[in-house]
Amino acid sequence: MLSSVSRKLILIAAMAVVFGLFAASLIDLASLYNDATKDYFFEHGFEETGSNNLVTGILLDYRLFDSLFEAGILLVAVSGVIWVSKHDFADKNPNFMIDKYKTPDLFISFARLVYPLLLAFGLYIILNGHLSPGGGFQGGALAATAILILYFIDKNKETDIKRIVTIEKVLYLAIILVALLSLFTRSTAFTNFVAPAAGRQWQVVYLVTLNVLIGLKVAFGLWTIFTAFLKEGR
Amino acid sequence: MIDVAMRLYENMYYLVSVILFVIGFHTLLTHSNLIKKIIGMNIMETAVFLFFVSTGYVRGGVAPIIEPGVEQYVNPLPTALILTGIVVAVSVTAFALSLIVKLYESYGTLDAEEIMRIRSTEL
Repeated sequence: MLSSVSRKLILIAAMAVVFGLFAASLIDLASLYNDATKDYFFEHGFEETGSNNLVTGILLDYRLFDSLFEAGILLVAVSGVIWVSKHDFADKNPNFMIDKYKTPDLFISFARLVYPLLLAFGLYIILNGHLSPGGGFQGGALAATAILILYFIDKNKETDIKRIVTIEKVLYLAIILVALLSLFTRSTAFTNFVAPAAGRQWQVVYLVTLNVLIGLKVAFGLWTIFTAFLKEGR
Repeated sequence: MIDVAMRLYENMYYLVSVILFVIGFHTLLTHSNLIKKIIGMNIMETAVFLFFVSTGYVRGGVAPIIEPGVEQYVNPLPTALILTGIVVAVSVTAFALSLIVKLYESYGTLDAEEIMRIRSTEL
């Protein structure tokens, strides 16, 4: 067993190595990402994806395969959280974190005002993901936060976790199906199923559809995680 | 020496992200409270996100939303990559916290060394 002084010295040395490695790599980092790919996105991104927001364009068109597994990781995490916390729900008090006598009345009144605004803002971010900053993941997280506020307003609110997870799985399948549609229309998988020649107003249909599906999926997933944690307390 | 200092000043975002990373690393390694370990892991993740997003920064560029009349945008690719990273970070944090809840239920403590001590006496 090492003494605490030598342990601290080893720790400091390890951190100095980490710091030194990063500092040594600062020489020419900006050119790592600011080369030809950036110019390609600015010259062709808008025409090929139909999205003003290039981040959404990359996420839902060029790197759609990546985004599918991003959504899949969230689904796996939700399943894991439920599996870890599912044992003996019955003997626990589901109201532990939202005890009415500990939540101030001012917070409850204010939450009633904020809840619809937050939900509408989340939907706005989801629907405008191709025009303004945002998209399915960000808007879904906002909508899930609004639902979390709902638990403070109504402390007897009951949620059927199984039904939510089933809806989430169906939504994930729908995302994969929409992503695979381009296999039949453009004979390439995982891209926009509307060809760029059809015009931008038709390409936007695909972007909004996928953004709404991803947004709903993320909102349901985070809602499930909240509920699992709320029910776990004693 | 001045050359290196100027380069570090020009790459301030990288430097700050490295400092954040080391802070998170220190928290992760030195604290025995499991919740604090998760907080340290999240600080490390945030440092990596800052690092990646700042590699795409272009001096004078605006957010990559195509509008008429704007000349220079920042690189959208690292931002799109980091969106994936954020979702993964949230998933890992949620799963780790649910595991910690279970650990607390069976051992009655959040201290990692305490849990190790209890386990060593059990065997």
